[in-house]
Amino acid sequence: MTGLIIVAALAALIFAAINFYGMKRRDAGTEKMQEIAASIEEGADAFIKHEYKIIAVVAAGIAILLAIVVSWYSAASFILGAFMSASAGWIGMKIATISNVRVANEARNTRDIGKTLKVAFQGGSVMGLCVGGFALLGLYIIYMVFGKGLGQLKPENLSFHKNWLGISDIPFTMTVSSYALGCSVIAMFNRVGGGIFTKAADMGADLVGKTEAGIPEDDPRNPATIADNVGDNVGDVAGLGSDLLESYVGSLISAIVLAAYTFFSARNTGSAISESLVSKLVSYPLVFAAMGLFSSILGVLYLQLKKVSKNPHKELNRATFAGAGFTLISTGILTWFYFSGEQIAPISFNIGTLSPWVCAVLGIVSGILIGQMAERYTSYDFKPTQGIAAASREGAALTITQGMAVGLTSVIAPVITLGICIIAAHAAAGLYGVAMAAIGMLSFVTVTVSVDTYGPIADNAGGISEMAKLDPEVREITDELDAVGNTTAAIGKGFAIGSAALAALSLFASYLYAQAGEDSAGGIDLILNMVNTMTLVGALAGAALPYLFSGILIEAVANAARKMVQEVRRQFASDPGIITGESKPDYKTCISISSAGALAEMKIPALLSVATPLVSGFIFGSEFVGGLLIGTTLSAIMLALYTANAGGAWDNAKKYIEHGHYGGKGSDAHKAAVIGDTVGDPLKDTVGPSLDILIKIMAVVSLISVSIFSKYNLFSLF
Amino acid sequence: MIYYYLTVFPMEALIASELDPKAFGSYMATGSRKGSAEQLIFIEIEGGFESSFDWDFAEKNCVSHSSGEPKHSLYLSIYRVLENTPHSAMKSMFLVTKDGRTLQMYKNTCKVPGNWKGYAMYQELCPVLPLVVSSLNPQQFGEYIISDNDKVTVPAIVFADVKLINLDDFENSGNVGSMYDRNLAHMKDCVDSVKSEKKKKLTKTVDRSFSSSFSYQIIDTGVYAASSEGIILYAMPTREELKQNHYDWGRSANIF
Repeated sequence: MTGLIIVAALAALIFAAINFYGMKRRDAGTEKMQEIAASIEEGADAFIKHEYKIIAVVAAGIAILLAIVVSWYSAASFILGAFMSASAGWIGMKIATISNVRVANEARNTRDIGKTLKVAFQGGSVMGLCVGGFALLGLYIIYMVFGKGLGQLKPENLSFHKNWLGISDIPFTMTVSSYALGCSVIAMFNRVGGGIFTKAADMGADLVGKTEAGIPEDDPRNPATIADNVGDNVGDVAGLGSDLLESYVGSLISAIVLAAYTFFSARNTGSAISESLVSKLVSYPLVFAAMGLFSSILGVLYLQLKKVSKNPHKELNRATFAGAGFTLISTGILTWFYFSGEQIAPISFNIGTLSPWVCAVLGIVSGILIGQMAERYTSYDFKPTQGIAAASREGAALTITQGMAVGLTSVIAPVITLGICIIAAHAAAGLYGVAMAAIGMLSFVTVTVSVDTYGPIADNAGGISEMAKLDPEVREITDELDAVGNTTAAIGKGFAIGSAALAALSLFASYLYAQAGEDSAGGIDLILNMVNTMTLVGALAGAALPYLFSGILIEAVANAARKMVQEVRRQFASDPGIITGESKPDYKTCISISSAGALAEMKIPALLSVATPLVSGFIFGSEFVGGLLIGTTLSAIMLALYTANAGGAWDNAKKYIEHGHYGGKGSDAHKAAVIGDTVGDPLKDTVGPSLDILIKIMAVVSLISVSIFSKYNLFSLF
Repeated sequence: MIYYYLTVFPMEALIASELDPKAFGSYMATGSRKGSAEQLIFIEIEGGFESSFDWDFAEKNCVSHSSGEPKHSLYLSIYRVLENTPHSAMKSMFLVTKDGRTLQMYKNTCKVPGNWKGYAMYQELCPVLPLVVSSLNPQQFGEYIISDNDKVTVPAIVFADVKLINLDDFENSGNVGSMYDRNLAHMKDCVDSVKSEKKKKLTKTVDRSFSSSFSYQIIDTGVYAASSEGIILYAMPTREELKQNHYDWGRSANIF
């Protein structure tokens, strides 16, 4: 049945290729449209190339370190993970820059929102299919080459092995963890780099072009407007793709690693787990994901083949629910047959054969609920966001204060939902069930990424329509598609944060197994001693870390945005012809500023996430890192929810006013709301998504290195 | 060729220029260091009419620079220009946005607005700038302001009627900019006083200097120019007309 994995991965990638080349064959519109699109593509290509060069150096360094300190297979799987993640990000960015102009042209030719939606979704689907396809392809290679080919999955090899440094680990867990680390490192760089780029350009374009000079959005007279559109591609597309691929892989490997440790622990305590059951526990998440991928392909096809209505929100929801529905049915049947006849008593499948499937369903339901909660707090159809708009009448200070209140309040409900999900999943299938809940949440990630990616494509199409002076009707179509994309993005963030929390918990359990190491012959009690000073201090430091990380990111955005503001002001002052439309602005300098700012500033936060568990582990030992992980996970989940929801609420409060409330555009309330939106921009688009990655990257780095620093650390010398 | 422009908002002046109206609007709003990034309303006028304005001075001095660059602006007067300009000399009116985009509005005969509610709010633009509520329709209001029967009078005036909102439901105000941001309670009192049969007030001043919050998105039927010669309406295009023919201007004016 594991053959399904490669079939699903290849089917997804072939489908992605068909949609990619199908999109390329579409008409790219007028010469002017093509010229603008080419500038955007050129800027995005240049940034990604520079970014990937830096990442390649860092990734090579980590791979060499892994090869020396851990094993060659860790290094190889790390490179494979990095390659898969980078490929998904690059192809996603590429298709977005190809699709944007074709979406605008479809709107121009047909004046039909349904037909335009299909083209935008076709572009987005390439990214979604690549995320699912590349993630599973890489995991299948790991499974077949290392697991089966090199025998790492043989029961006798699912035990601790010592390397030349005397460091012990379970080889297969190390291999899959290194694969996840490769994905995480790329995701962190893409998210942080892309996030800084896009927000610096966005803020520079808005603060000077819109606010000071009174130029409308996407006006070609604004020197930062092309950089803003480039930012949509490198941040909202490439960053998003790598991020969700990392989340997807993170949730899958958390279940696989846990299965391996569960087997090891059960064997040491004399519990009988059959060889075939171990094999199934390890492969089940992958086969489950394969079924999810098949279902997602059907969900994508559903939207691509049907005659779509003029209600894009409804159509996208239908595609998502179709993917989720197919996933539920297919994985339910799969689970029943997969575990039928197996002796499941020793592995805590407490409600029978379907236990892990029930956990996945719990994950899906929780993800949808968290998404709905995010929508409730961020959509202007509901009171919280309307309250921020109302507060804006009293000035920017109250806009900020009210938005903070909404963001802070929004944290509790998703956390309760996650808590219920964790308890229920644990009751149904133990910690393996918790990991399955995370997998459930992301099982139809292909559809959700397709839907998420279509948003920035539609946004860019709107920019091109504006700059190429297409009819207002065209801009109205792209604007409506973009607005729907904002709502679906909020729901997508709910899935990303929720799955990060669940995967982190599973990885943390694996960390405790790994920490116990081969000494755990008598079985392992997964207990973190919070009274231990080291653990407690680690938890405190961990709780503070996301704040430090967020502060560095916001400062990075502010630094780059400040340079952008200065450059746009300089261009306006030095050439009055720009504002009158007689001269062409220097777009390239603005792109260079965003690019240089992002490339210079992304290294510290990315390295912080990798280095913190390593450095603290080698100084203070494994108990400290255990506390650090718990502290970081708890604090980062809260902060991620807060930043995503507060930022989204500020953004939509501004839109609510722009739709003719409290005076509309140009009113005092609008000016205050614009300030709120600007404050929220780096929170929701740079900080929030990066925190999800921070949690997992730290968990995976700790999992890989715990066997080393539990043996070699400064404090153990005393 | 020399063009003559009567600027009515934010300052009153007579300016000669070699720039056509569109280029002049763009220059005045964005290119002139004297007042960059501000909205401007001006009327193109036919020069040479009988007045104290020095047309010969304009002919002599409004010439291109040695570099070939046209003369942008030559101020002929900055005081009491409107009252000395006959309606017959007035051509189109131009509304210029902060970023220099220009909307041309044509001369029309004035008539009672179709959606007349029994009262209106008028933003006076030149030569004085108060915001007033009145039970008079635009034509009556223009005649009332220029008549000698009242102490408060001017010889000529340019004013716009502004969109009225439900003052009890500001949340659903529509896209009206910052006009209604302050003093809503006072505005309600003013409206009540002109609507009330007992008080019989014809006009009530809402604010003596409300011009900073004036924006094009709140102009209702159009901009009026009244003098002893009568009243001219420069009709505001409908939203649909703006969308079809002046979309860029509409975006710059915060209408779209």
